[in-house]
Amino acid sequence: MIQYCTILFKEFITASEVSSVCMVPKSSEGYILSCFYVWEGNMGSKLNRGNQDREVVLLCCQHCLNGEAKDSIWSLGAQGVSIRTIMMPCSSKVEVPYILKILEAGADGVEIIACPKQSCKFLVGSLRAEKRIEYIHELLEKIGYAGERVGISRKLSQSPEELFDIAKARAKAIENLGLNPMKGE
Amino acid sequence: MIFAEWKPLDELIDKLKSHNKLLLAGCATCVAECAAGGEKEVETLAPLLRMALKKHGCSIEIVTCTIEKQCEWEFVEELAEKAEEVDAIMSIACGIGTQALAERYDPIPVYPGVNTSALTIREEDGLWVARCAACGDCVLGETFGYCPIARCAKSLLNGPCGGTRKNGKCELDEDVDCIWNLIVERADERGQLESLSQMKKTKDWSNSRHGGPKRVIREDLR
Repeated sequence: MIQYCTILFKEFITASEVSSVCMVPKSSEGYILSCFYVWEGNMGSKLNRGNQDREVVLLCCQHCLNGEAKDSIWSLGAQGVSIRTIMMPCSSKVEVPYILKILEAGADGVEIIACPKQSCKFLVGSLRAEKRIEYIHELLEKIGYAGERVGISRKLSQSPEELFDIAKARAKAIENLGLNPMKGE
Repeated sequence: MIFAEWKPLDELIDKLKSHNKLLLAGCATCVAECAAGGEKEVETLAPLLRMALKKHGCSIEIVTCTIEKQCEWEFVEELAEKAEEVDAIMSIACGIGTQALAERYDPIPVYPGVNTSALTIREEDGLWVARCAACGDCVLGETFGYCPIARCAKSLLNGPCGGTRKNGKCELDEDVDCIWNLIVERADERGQLESLSQMKKTKDWSNSRHGGPKRVIREDLR
């Protein structure tokens, strides 16, 4: 029997899209999701202001994680990097405003975890995600932000260790950029 | 649909630096269809502006709202509550919507966030092309459904200019069809080529912008 758990994003997505994003299937057979993320509006308000760790948000397509990653995604953490994860029904569900709002909330980097181009369950989902990331790079550069703060990784059956490595690689890529200016005083 | 594009972000940022609280207003009709001023674009532009302005040392609060149509007074009224709390409004609707907000919410300054540039159709995802120039004297009946005013670079009414490429494209842009080439092809397909040779009435431009500001009255609707 399919049950549903709700991802709560407050001020994170537009109201009209809540219904399509928030319902993530969860089954007793472990077929789909085993976790959800509660977004409390301004992520920056939850940050430890004194923490110099790079904060990286992983937006994960549910289809490219292995079972272990799905079960343990809550407990991701690594030295020097603070990792937050958000499970998505597909990487194509990552819209431009979502990522900008994550950066506005204070995240130092965002990584979209997507399927390889030929393996997207919805055929063109990960291609759409990639095009949106290119558009975000253009927008960020126009306001003086480095595009490196947002990236995409493609691979099926990602393990928790691989997610660690991806987050650390993104943190390394933005190391020289300093903390996100939106983190506040 | 009315087509618009975001103004350069630098231009928008310059306008907003001196304000404390902004209402960023979207319109869910034409400009939403052309991905410039709908709810999604409002929610994209707002964080961008906040980030950019913070980088410039400005602490401005930005509230957002997208209404169904900024060109209808009933919908414009929906912004009243939020407008009371701000010292500036930025509209990313077309010029009609921006003017409606400026009139209704005077003396709050209302800035345009977009440049309104054309009347278009979405030909495919991410591609909009001009189809109408609102010239006020439609000739589509004589040109087999293709508009030479909006779709010819020179708005020629009496045939191609002579610069048509061999593949039927415009000399100015290899991705754009020569509209007179298409007109002639369609006339030929219908066996009506001779209709293009007939003398035509001089086009009346007085019903276009050349005739001054448009004002239309329909007594039956008043």
